[in-house]
Amino acid sequence: MSYTLQWGVAFDYLPYFLGGALVTLHLTFLGFLAGLIIGITTAVAQVYGSPLMQRTANIYVVFFTNTPSLVTAFFIFFGLPEFGILLSPYLCILINLALNAGAFLADVFRSGIQSVKTTEMEAAEIMGFSLFQKVQYVIAPHIAKTLYPPISNLYIIFILGSALASIFGVEELTGRAFNVDSETFRSIEIYTIAATIYVLMTFAASFALALVGRYVFRVKARMF
Amino acid sequence: MTQLEINGLFAEYSPSLPILEDVSLKIETGEIISIIGPSGSGKSTILRVLVGLLHPSQGHVIVNGTEVNYKSPSALKSMRDTMAMVFQQFNLFQNMSVLRNVMIAPLKIKKEPEAEVEARAKEYLEIMGLGEKFDAYPDQLSGGQQQRVALARALALRPKILLLDEVTSALDPEMVNEVLDAIRVLSTKGITLIIVSHEMAFVREVSDRVIMMDDGKVVEIGTPDEIFTAAKTQRCRDFISNIIQH
Repeated sequence: MSYTLQWGVAFDYLPYFLGGALVTLHLTFLGFLAGLIIGITTAVAQVYGSPLMQRTANIYVVFFTNTPSLVTAFFIFFGLPEFGILLSPYLCILINLALNAGAFLADVFRSGIQSVKTTEMEAAEIMGFSLFQKVQYVIAPHIAKTLYPPISNLYIIFILGSALASIFGVEELTGRAFNVDSETFRSIEIYTIAATIYVLMTFAASFALALVGRYVFRVKARMF
Repeated sequence: MTQLEINGLFAEYSPSLPILEDVSLKIETGEIISIIGPSGSGKSTILRVLVGLLHPSQGHVIVNGTEVNYKSPSALKSMRDTMAMVFQQFNLFQNMSVLRNVMIAPLKIKKEPEAEVEARAKEYLEIMGLGEKFDAYPDQLSGGQQQRVALARALALRPKILLLDEVTSALDPEMVNEVLDAIRVLSTKGITLIIVSHEMAFVREVSDRVIMMDDGKVVEIGTPDEIFTAAKTQRCRDFISNIIQH
């Protein structure tokens, strides 16, 4: 092998990479947060909505869960300007992440809502709970515990999947690794460092999510 | 005074599956009515129609002189304001403590003051013999205790009409009596009770009138003595004699 590893060159860019990791974290956090809201709303529409709302929600979920995230990102990146909406690459990717997360989370929430016992829903119905109150007092507490682990896993997957933002010029971790690689051509060192930062980020996220699960939702999750 | 009137009621789960056929009843304020009959005769369905869990396909339900419009959410809400229902499977909220189960509707739906609701919830739980269980969760209670929580929860809504749907059917025999004792307490409170039950001795003891149903129709209505000892219809006599023999 003629390639000689030169870690020093790559380590010089460590602060730059860490800045990129920060962008990855807030991009995925904000995207996932928006996805949670979209997911819950969509799932409620799928289960309790009018036929039109159910059909619209189903089309949205089927489209985004059966289309590569990269393809939907191209739609948003190149499609929105055609309608006169000019957004930064960061916002385009944020919207794409939110819409993708929303579709996958809607499926998770829908199964959670449908797992709530009919008996509890009937009791809530005749006691006069509104739909919002049923979600707040009956459905959400019930599904929080059961859905927390799969939602946590989805979040980790979305952290890793956010690397596609680099294709659109967003300077998150992978994007910055691209930049440094094109300047230094130290690909192995640079992507090893980027990969290590991803591993540390997902470990930290898993640990934080497990802590929240254990103390907020009383889910017995393994920390590692 | 007539509190509840049902006229020519038809109900079905699907067009090919009629459950109630031309049911008519009048129930007076404070009356204790028991509905008996074989499984599938439509007893529970009447209760489900009364609380709006199933909408009638024909007929009228009149509560305190006002006909219920099942298509109107506000009409359903005002009907439900007068009623509470206790189910065979308790239907407690599993994520809430016993006290919270009893308080949730008066507090969050009826927006009553918390201190007042809490005092009332504790009082009803005490009456039901659950004074030590305020902080327990439903899955920590026996079936009989859960059913008594369900009764306390229904009472905390201060209903004018209480519907009891086979409230002892899912219980072990030794727990049946503790729930029946709790209902005996209720029967002295002046609330209109509509009881669906297979506990014939209990029905005979507490009811003012008994309704015998079969195949979605009212077969006979009478006092407990009339139904249990001098039923006019053969179907009613057969049912009673079968039950008593077993």
